[in-house]
Amino acid sequence: MGSLSTSRILLIGLAAVVLASFLPLWASGYILGLLTLAYYFGVFAMAWDLLFGFAGEVNFGPTFLIGTGAYTAGILDNLYQPPIWMCLVAGALAAVAGGVVLALPALRVRGPYFGLTTLVAVLMLQNFIVVDASLTGGEIGLTVPDVISISDAINYLIALWFMAMSGAILFALSRSPVGLILQASGQDAVQAGALGFNVTKHKLTAFIISAFFSGLAGALLIFYLGSASVGTLVDITVGVQIIIAAVVGGRRTILGAVLGAVFLIAMSEALRPLGDLSNFVVFAMALVVVLLFPSGFFGLLTRAREPS
Amino acid sequence: MLFWQILVDGFAISSLYALGATGFALIFGVSGVLNLSHGALMVTAVVAAWAAGNDLHVGAYAGAALGVGVGLVATLFTYFLIVRPLQQTRKIREEEKEIFILTATLLWGIMIQELIAYLYTNNAKTVAPIVEGVVRIAGVRTPTNEIFTAVVCWLVIGILWLLVNRTRAGKAVLAASMNPRGVTLLGVELAHVYIAVWAIYGILVGVAGVLLGMFLGVSSYSVGPLTASAFSIVVLGGLGSVSGALIAAYVVGYLETITAYLISPAYRTIPALLLLVAVMYVSPRGLLGRR
Amino acid sequence: MKKPAAHGASASRLGLLSTSAAIFAFALATPGYAQSNTPIKIAVIAEAQAVAGSSIPQAAQLAADEINAAGGVDGRKIEIISYDNHSSAAESVRAFQRAATEDHVNAVIASYISEVVLALEPWTGRLKTVMVTPGAASDVITQNIAKDYNNLKYTFHGYSTSTSIADATCDAAKELLVKDLHFKSAVVMSEDAAWTTPLDAEYLKCLPQIGLKVIDHIRVSPDTTDFTPIYNKIEGEKPDVMITGISHVGVQPTVQWKQQEVPIPMFGISSQATNSSFWQDTNGAVEGVLYGAFSGPGVAVTPKTLPFVAAFNKRYGNNPSYCGYTAYDEVYYIADAIKRAGSTEPDKLVDALEKTDWVGAIGRIQFKGKDSPNPHALKIGPDTITGLMLQWQDGKQVNLWPANVANGKLKFPKFVKLGAAN
Repeated sequence: MGSLSTSRILLIGLAAVVLASFLPLWASGYILGLLTLAYYFGVFAMAWDLLFGFAGEVNFGPTFLIGTGAYTAGILDNLYQPPIWMCLVAGALAAVAGGVVLALPALRVRGPYFGLTTLVAVLMLQNFIVVDASLTGGEIGLTVPDVISISDAINYLIALWFMAMSGAILFALSRSPVGLILQASGQDAVQAGALGFNVTKHKLTAFIISAFFSGLAGALLIFYLGSASVGTLVDITVGVQIIIAAVVGGRRTILGAVLGAVFLIAMSEALRPLGDLSNFVVFAMALVVVLLFPSGFFGLLTRAREPS
Repeated sequence: MLFWQILVDGFAISSLYALGATGFALIFGVSGVLNLSHGALMVTAVVAAWAAGNDLHVGAYAGAALGVGVGLVATLFTYFLIVRPLQQTRKIREEEKEIFILTATLLWGIMIQELIAYLYTNNAKTVAPIVEGVVRIAGVRTPTNEIFTAVVCWLVIGILWLLVNRTRAGKAVLAASMNPRGVTLLGVELAHVYIAVWAIYGILVGVAGVLLGMFLGVSSYSVGPLTASAFSIVVLGGLGSVSGALIAAYVVGYLETITAYLISPAYRTIPALLLLVAVMYVSPRGLLGRR
Repeated sequence: MKKPAAHGASASRLGLLSTSAAIFAFALATPGYAQSNTPIKIAVIAEAQAVAGSSIPQAAQLAADEINAAGGVDGRKIEIISYDNHSSAAESVRAFQRAATEDHVNAVIASYISEVVLALEPWTGRLKTVMVTPGAASDVITQNIAKDYNNLKYTFHGYSTSTSIADATCDAAKELLVKDLHFKSAVVMSEDAAWTTPLDAEYLKCLPQIGLKVIDHIRVSPDTTDFTPIYNKIEGEKPDVMITGISHVGVQPTVQWKQQEVPIPMFGISSQATNSSFWQDTNGAVEGVLYGAFSGPGVAVTPKTLPFVAAFNKRYGNNPSYCGYTAYDEVYYIADAIKRAGSTEPDKLVDALEKTDWVGAIGRIQFKGKDSPNPHALKIGPDTITGLMLQWQDGKQVNLWPANVANGKLKFPKFVKLGAAN
């Protein structure tokens, strides 16, 4: 299975992002709002792909990192109202701390066992948010006093370029020697260790990077939405959607995750006339992709362009 | 008094957990599949039994039987439509199949959940109980249905034990769970073993679902929590170990009941989750794991 | 019983109101200065898969069809656009954005979940779109309007606030439980959600005032599936009655109450019990459960109530849930406000809605003013809207309170031991 060279993919990606930057000139605010959401979801899915696709960690709890980042930023803004960038930095750092906490069991337990640990982490965070309602807003959700902008176009461009930069960094990383070592240790940690690679150090790095982007994207998202709630950022169903986006887009491709996220959000919108059945149809389509095209959209695209 | 209450209530719920998790452990042991549509299959059985009672106006026994039947059909459907194609495909590398089966069964479970909510709303459903009324056990007013639940659970688990240990087909299943390749050398068709195990699993899921529907009731929202609870019990017991799952079911069931009574029902699941994390730190293979 | 007399009194009170209603209905039916023939669009964002929420789009469509059959509003038809929010705040926000910016609706009827309405509230100001909720109860919705009137004035609370609901429950309890049955103590059992926070606060205040000592206050997680420990705890405390505040949960606590034969009556708010299919959903376990509401089948709160229930039942095969009644009224008074404003311009529509005086299926609808601590909340009282207390008896919802609209007597299943505590 051949694939395009790193620089060519980055170039095509850059061209797509530049083209997408002109969308606000003609698209309605509603379409822009949808894509803004899809781009942040794309970052979540890419960060997840780095852990799952490359480091081989079955992480059912991407929302643990996202929620930690988002809520830290939101609570800080609510309590002290510092400049928004400080909230964003704090959110990203808190998520990194969360990533380290999550990495500890990952260094000890594997596969489904680790998957369950991540699930527990999400449930714990969810319980904390609901129980400590005076700080987090509990079930109602947290409303932040500041938003970055109320202009659809500006929010769209921020999300687009944030996604583009995160994607470039994560993609370059995945194609670098670090990515290869991660992949090797994900498949057989013992052998990778025997070859002289420091598996622990590389895995920890993967967790920290994944957490950084998840947390930052989560924090940016609440300053776009103006509110955070368990249902939008932390709930396990949100995590499931992120996983589906990454798998449908193409696992182990990083950039495919963005395609998957845009697909999920666009489809659920396009199928709205179906009413209550729309979600069912979206998930059914995702299942068909998983069953028939396991390499995902990105796999289909890159293979189609490859002469071999 | 409180002690007896916890003992009686905890027993029924634990027995139900045991039955639900047994099937989950069995298919993992034999075919290495973690079926994340487990909860959805249970809910399907409940909704079928409920709909049979409400729409077709059949009696409690017929409704329950229909629920188990639909649970079995849905499970076999899951195997032939989702799991087997993924196991046999050449498009996916062997070591990645586990991840694809997890994702596909997860998606399948959500699809069932959406369909049930679409057809029958997401309101909770309860199956008309076969037995009604209450009796007193050690001073605790216990619904007869609770005793019925525990008895049926153990009856089914007992039959399963006999099947596995006393029949030729059962022994083949047991052998397959220990060493799939070895079994083929003995002339047993592995494909038949898989179908048999999935059928047994389907019946277990159906019975556990219908009993849960009579005892506590479920809604389409229960799909996730039911899968998560079976998953954690099986991991706690040690993946692939049926007896480990049985023990773990009682540990989790009682821990939850004790928490609900002594601390607060709101924190019901937390100590069990903490225990799970702790056990995995100390012994990553669970209580009786062997993989 | 001096029921006929009581009925007469209520009829004369409502007689006045129905006259004004007739005038409005007449005004609606008369084609006036038609501005254009473009339809008036009303978005309905609701929990279409939930039992209570499914009545919202249905009742709204019924009202729209009735108005259209009578000629529409100044010749303009009313078009209902439905969005299913899958009970999720995020999906609701997306639906709201789509309704306002893509489908250009003139007003939104949204949700029975307080969390959802609170998430939508800031968007009503950002997108300058009028929103009325048919079923959310949290007092915070209107308290927010008081804090930021200029931005949030587009939100209207078309259902009673939790505090008023608790007060109505206490009034009913005083009559039915304290006066008639000499009950002395209660345990409050509510689900942990936004709408029950003010509800419970008011319960804890008004129950002692009517002579019911509150022994314990239990908040249950909405995820609870097994209520056995809760019931055992309550039983151990020996109260005369459980005062409930449940909406997201319903089937499971009710079925388990019956199955475990908990000897204490359930009384209070149980939103799912307002739906006529609840008997079937619980296999009849709801027998004897008392629940408060602002409307009920067979209870002629106004002359419009019974015709609405009959029309709804004829079309959809079941009776509306509590938010069906309010959604039905909302379409009518939004249409009425557009008619009076002579415009669908949001600020003018807000002004007109603030002056609403409409007799609907749940009573006479008026909103509290800008200077109230709860602006845009419904006025509650004998002249506007009063609560009812109903009980499920043999598969039917029977109204017990207030006496002038009661059509049955209190009756409990055998396992409920009245005054067991004494």
